[in-house]
Amino acid sequence: MLSQFAYRKAGSVQEAIELSSRPGARILAGGSDLLGCLRDGVFSADRIVSISGLKELKGVAATAGGGMRIGALATLAEIAGHPRLRQAYPALAQAAAAAASPQLRNQGTIGGNLCQRPRCWYFRGDFPCARKGGDTCYAIAGENQLHCIFGGEGCYMVHPSDTAPALLALDAKVRIQGRKGARTIPLASFFVLPSVDPRRENALAPGELLTEILLDPPEPGARGLYRKVRERGAFDFALVGAAIVLAISEGTVKKARVALSGVAPVPWRSEEAEAALAGKKLDQQAIAAAAAAAVKDAEPLSGNGYKIPLVRGMVEDALSALAG
Amino acid sequence: MNPKPWGDTAVVGKPVSRIDAYERLSGAAIYSLDVLLPDMLHAAILRCPHAHAIVKKVDASAALAMPGVRAVLTDADQEARIPWHPDAQGKPVSRLFDPHCRCEGEEVAAVAAETPQQAADALRRIRVEYETRPFVIEMEAAHRAGATQVHDGGNYVYPPGTGDTERGDVAKGFAEADVVLEETYRTSCEIHTTMEVHGSVAKWDGKRLTVWNTTQGVFDDQAALAAALKMPLSDVRVIGHYMGGGFGSKLNLGKYTVIAALFARKTGRPVKLFLSREETFLSVGNRPAHTMKLKAGVRKDGTLTALELNGIGTVGAYTDWTTVGYQVADLYLCPNVRVKELQVYTHAGQSRPFRAPGFPQCSWALEQMMDALAEKIGMDPVEFRLKNIAAVSQAEENKPYTSTGFAECLREGARVFGWRQARERKKGDGAWVRGAGMAGGMWGYAGGPPSTAIVRLYADGSVNLNIGASDLGTGTKTVMAMVVAEELGVPLDRIQIESADTATTQYTGASGGSKTVMVDSPAVRAAALEVKAALVQMAAGQLQAAASGLSLVNGEIVSADSPDKRVKVQDLKTLKEQQVVVGVGRRGPNPAGKVIRPFAAQFAEVEVNTRTGEMRVLRMAAAHDSGRVMNRLTYENQVFGGMTMGIGLAMTEQRILDRETGKMVNANWHDYKIPTMKDAPADMTCVAIDPHDHECDTTSTKGLGEPAMVPTAAAVANAFYHATGVRMTSAPITPAEAIAALSKRRKG
Repeated sequence: MLSQFAYRKAGSVQEAIELSSRPGARILAGGSDLLGCLRDGVFSADRIVSISGLKELKGVAATAGGGMRIGALATLAEIAGHPRLRQAYPALAQAAAAAASPQLRNQGTIGGNLCQRPRCWYFRGDFPCARKGGDTCYAIAGENQLHCIFGGEGCYMVHPSDTAPALLALDAKVRIQGRKGARTIPLASFFVLPSVDPRRENALAPGELLTEILLDPPEPGARGLYRKVRERGAFDFALVGAAIVLAISEGTVKKARVALSGVAPVPWRSEEAEAALAGKKLDQQAIAAAAAAAVKDAEPLSGNGYKIPLVRGMVEDALSALAG
Repeated sequence: MNPKPWGDTAVVGKPVSRIDAYERLSGAAIYSLDVLLPDMLHAAILRCPHAHAIVKKVDASAALAMPGVRAVLTDADQEARIPWHPDAQGKPVSRLFDPHCRCEGEEVAAVAAETPQQAADALRRIRVEYETRPFVIEMEAAHRAGATQVHDGGNYVYPPGTGDTERGDVAKGFAEADVVLEETYRTSCEIHTTMEVHGSVAKWDGKRLTVWNTTQGVFDDQAALAAALKMPLSDVRVIGHYMGGGFGSKLNLGKYTVIAALFARKTGRPVKLFLSREETFLSVGNRPAHTMKLKAGVRKDGTLTALELNGIGTVGAYTDWTTVGYQVADLYLCPNVRVKELQVYTHAGQSRPFRAPGFPQCSWALEQMMDALAEKIGMDPVEFRLKNIAAVSQAEENKPYTSTGFAECLREGARVFGWRQARERKKGDGAWVRGAGMAGGMWGYAGGPPSTAIVRLYADGSVNLNIGASDLGTGTKTVMAMVVAEELGVPLDRIQIESADTATTQYTGASGGSKTVMVDSPAVRAAALEVKAALVQMAAGQLQAAASGLSLVNGEIVSADSPDKRVKVQDLKTLKEQQVVVGVGRRGPNPAGKVIRPFAAQFAEVEVNTRTGEMRVLRMAAAHDSGRVMNRLTYENQVFGGMTMGIGLAMTEQRILDRETGKMVNANWHDYKIPTMKDAPADMTCVAIDPHDHECDTTSTKGLGEPAMVPTAAAVANAFYHATGVRMTSAPITPAEAIAALSKRRKG
């Protein structure tokens, strides 16, 4: 049951920033994550600032430079169905289409998808865990079958977004506005590892707003996909997932990006897998080497050792599909 | 005397949409959850957050002082000290708000307020001092010597040995076998997760209590509520007109009903108390996990020589019954059988009956074992089962079944599915490989009396049908109306139904055990026949003809000898004078010395990704002997729904308790995964095997709801094995479990 809060509808980005700068304020976009967290008492809010009316944060459009600009309020359904994204950035369109359920994709925004809180059952449940300011991560000794095999330290959650690894594999940038103005940073530096701060998932300071996502023009010969392994056919986060973007010319991989979901507290770029592919022909040998490299330094917990063969098999499966 | 069995039927057996489909789909149907009464208060329950704790102190003063809060109940209130949770001897071991909390989610206090929000806010202000205690949540651990005790008498629900059965000479049976296999199988704890959450609305008028309850049985609830509140049955009215699913979890009276009634009495206002979705994961039952060690012996010719089951299951914190061995003892012909089962307490939510309690679990073990035996002796799995069909119930002193269509289920199912082609189809040489599997099954229960139904025929020929049964969403009302339409020739849209109200309808047992149709449709038929006989009598007088030569055809009573002698029902003089004809029907006894059982065989084709362990169920076929099909549409609904639920057991559903705290970590509809439309195959078919059983009851029906999910999970597991060559003994087969098993093989 929701507790009481004040509701404000921002008329401009500037107003949204002002209204959400004070402690206890939360931004409401699609609401599919925020309202659930408030209802379940994961965190509280005494002021909700709705940005859903801000036209300047909406839409998906080509940029003058041949790239794309995606407003933070673009819905997952919009992205999944966008002809240009489907054709030139299939990893992103497929990731958006793989998220949640049709109703949630109509409601959920890309900004919200990047900023969503962890789905870890200890974080969401009645456990005072490290991410909520407690002194322990319950997953270490507990039910950690869904938890991370990379990047855990103090907290072993996995980042829940499907679109984040896709955008990471596309070298996307995000634009952030705050009281002190705007900045544009690579998505890779947007996410925060628990070793830096276990209590937040991203670089947004209070009052800062993610306003848009920028994509460069696709590389020549680019191909990509998002592969998601889940426990049921819909309405489910990734057990593990892989966003892969390759630039292939004359049969050789010129550039490779492999970003994994479901393996780390942030969307996880596997530079090892990328290195195993760069300069190679995309044949079975290179695929097997890349798949093995993707899990080389994994550190499983007591209950998630299966993620090693799973990630390996999934990367193999995904690369084979791209090669075919 | 029993009426003659139906031959060809005009209405019964046809595909007929629910008579209340419009109400249910448009939102016009008033479920208990929808009931809004003037001046109504809303209540909520504070639950223990620990797996095992003693409540030392409850301070509700701050909550009581909050705006809108009208009452609080705790164990300190004398009226709330109502005994609860009987042990195996029937002696209550707990109370409504017992300070000894033996699992997460036990009721500690409750609040009634003007709005649901105020009640929820007030709960957060109740301060409770808990003394936490050690707990045991794993049944194997609870069984070990020196384990933490759930109850003072130890962790066995019944003394070991209770209910164990043995026949023949098991050792000799294994010695005579050419092949002996032994394997340990496990199934996980499943939650019912009904569409409509559990709850009640209670209202007092003087000393009379009315409760709108989402329940499988209004009369069972009436009796339990009357006992809990020490009232006569006549002062307790329970209404359950529309119901959003039970699956067994709404057979027992819930504490929420009693708490709503206590608040309503205390405040003098109607009180609504419905649980949140999350609460229903903790507090209203589950299908308990089971571990089954099964040993089987077979001769090369496919003759089973011995079966031995050693099972252990847990009821959770309070007494229930959780054995699984029936099919081992009954389904296949086998002279030497031993079944030993242990039932233990753990500090976890109490189990309740869940769609064929014990049977899908047993099927998971037995049917995978049958699959493995068939392979060892080089026999087709269907042929192997056909070799071991029983005509008598070996678990019931070899009494004959009234009918068994099991062999026909196997043959017809295999034919409809295309079993041989599916088994011979190339498995594929890429990452995805295909396989086909099947399983047999039965349900071990049959309903019987009492049930009383009333059919009233009005002066215009329209009908009021009055039945006590609850329609859980299964189509009960539609089926019963079809029985009336069959006998009286009245169109379905001229039949009004009154059901599931202890004040206005007649007694019947709860809708559970797949027995509603076989218990209540004979009563309805009898009532309709009584009306028919009365109409014929009236016509005999009016037409000056012998009643024996008259019959009711299309709303007219016609003489067989002289067809000009006919009268429309609404033109009957006596009917005009009386304005109504009332027929009362009662369910007669089951046949003596015989056993009534439904049977099934199901088939599945799957594909498995050997790189990732992902599995897709491509198609399924089911063949069920549940006696006569009453409504082809609701029949298919039951079978497809049951198979989908079986896919949940096979692939997605499991309660997960945190080993460190004993708390459930996936108590919500996101983390506890019931199958979606994408997990059920688009290609599902079912074929009805009708053995024309004229002994089981006067409508020739046996149960369907439960057998529909009995063999499903095992069929899927057998298909997984056929595809991959890897035997998955633990349910559910998630990608995690599958890839762990597949990669082990890859290394080895």
